Amino acid sequence: MNTNGNARPAAGLKLGTTLYALTNEFLSRRYSFEDLLAQTAARGTGPGLEVVGFQSIRGFPRITDEFAERFKELVAKYHLVPTSLGINADQEIRRGRVMSDDEMVAYHIPQIQAAAKLGFPVARYQYGAGPEVIRRLAPLARDLNVRLGLEIHAPQHANHPEVIRYREMYARVSSSYLGWIPDFSSTAKTVPPSFLDFFRSRGFPESLIELAMQIWHGEGDATARMMQYKQRARASGADEIQLNELSLIFPMFGKQDPRSWLELLPQVVHIHGKFFGFDAAGNEEAIDYEALLPLFRNFSGYMSSEWEGHMYSDADAFGMIERHQAMCRRILAAH
Amino acid sequence: METSRVISENGLEATPNGLRIDVRLPWYRSLPLSTVEVGEIVIDGRTIDPHRVRFELEGKSFSLPELADQVDTVWYVLDSAFLNVATDVPAGSGEHDVSVTLNLYPPYIRGLKRITRDRKTLRAL
Repeated sequence: MNTNGNARPAAGLKLGTTLYALTNEFLSRRYSFEDLLAQTAARGTGPGLEVVGFQSIRGFPRITDEFAERFKELVAKYHLVPTSLGINADQEIRRGRVMSDDEMVAYHIPQIQAAAKLGFPVARYQYGAGPEVIRRLAPLARDLNVRLGLEIHAPQHANHPEVIRYREMYARVSSSYLGWIPDFSSTAKTVPPSFLDFFRSRGFPESLIELAMQIWHGEGDATARMMQYKQRARASGADEIQLNELSLIFPMFGKQDPRSWLELLPQVVHIHGKFFGFDAAGNEEAIDYEALLPLFRNFSGYMSSEWEGHMYSDADAFGMIERHQAMCRRILAAH
Repeated sequence: METSRVISENGLEATPNGLRIDVRLPWYRSLPLSTVEVGEIVIDGRTIDPHRVRFELEGKSFSLPELADQVDTVWYVLDSAFLNVATDVPAGSGEHDVSVTLNLYPPYIRGLKRITRDRKTLRAL
C-alpha cells in the first residue's frame, strides 16, 4: 500500500495550488516545474499541490523511477502535499473514431498507476471516461489506494443528467474509492466581468455582450440558452466569429445554486476553487465564495486555487492565487 | 494567454530552401499530433501551398496530411515544433510578415475544433 503523502489531513478544509493556474508561467518557459513548486512554497500558497499529468510531466502517463524520485524529493524540500493528479479521458485520439470501453479502461490504468507512484491520493478524471469504465477501474483504485474523483465542471453540475448516471453507478458500487471533485464553475452567480472586458478590449460591440448576458441570466440549460443567444445574435446581424467566441460563456459558467453541492458532500474527495478575478472589496467577481466555502467547512481535504483567467489574461498568476487564498482564509475564519 | 500564441518570439530562421518557423502548441497540455492540424500559413501576404510545408517535431518530419495518423507521437507542451516552408526564391534574412493557423481537436472534448491564428513580423535569423 502506498502511504507516502496519502495520509488524510485533519478535519477542515485545507488550501493548495493547482499548477494549471500557472499555465502561463510554465508555458512561457519563465518558470521550470521546480520553480513553480518553489514559488508556491515561498508565497505560502500550498501546502496542497495539484498537477495535470499531461501538462507537467514529459512522457506522461509513463513515470520513470527517476522522475518519481525527483518529484518526491521536491515535494519534501518545499513541504508540499500532493493532493490530486489530473488525468484525461482522451476518447478521440484518432479523429473520427471513439475509443471502446476496453480501450478507455486501458488508457486510464497507467494514469491511475502514475498517481499512485507519485503519491497522489486522488486522480481527477473526466466525464468522457463513462460510468462503466470507472466502475471497472474501481478495484484498481482500491488496490493502489487512489481515489477516483469526477470533476464536475460547467456546463455540468450536481444534478446534470450526465452526473446522475455516475451517481447511480456510485450508489450501486458503493466504493469509498469513487468520489467527486466540485469545480465552482458550475455554481457561478454571473460571467466574470474580467472576461467580458477581454471581449470589449477586442472591439466586441456592447449590444452583443448585453444580449449574451441577458440570455445567460435567463431560463433553460446551457445548450438551450446558447442556441437562443446564437439565433438572436445572428438575427441582429452580429459578426459570426465574434458571436461564436462569446458563446463560450454558456458552457464555461453554470449558474446552479451553491447548495446543489450538498448532496454530493459525503463523497467529495477534492475541490477546484475556480476563480477569475476580484472586485474592489477583494471578493471573487463571479463566484460567491461567501456562500460556497461554509458548505465545505468540515470537508477534510484540499481545495486547489484554480485561476483560469490565464486563458485571456497575462496577469501574474502567483499574485492572483495569493489573493484567492487570502479571501478564502478570511471567509473561513468568519464562519 | 500563452495558449493563444503559436509563433515563438525570434521564431524565424532563413534556410537554403526557404524559412523555418518555430511554433508552440496553443493548449495547456500536451496533445498527440493526430489531434493537431496545420491550417493556413501566409508569408509576406502570400498563402503557402500546404504541399510545400513539412512539420518537424523532435527531429522527425511529417507532411501535413501525415499528422492525422500520428496517434503515438505526443507534442509535449513545452517543446517547439517547426514548420519548414519551401519558397520559390530564397526568402533570405530580413523582416517577414508571418501568419500561422493551428487547428486543435482536443481528444477529450468531442466535436471541438479550436482554431488559433497568430501573426507576427519577425526578422529571420
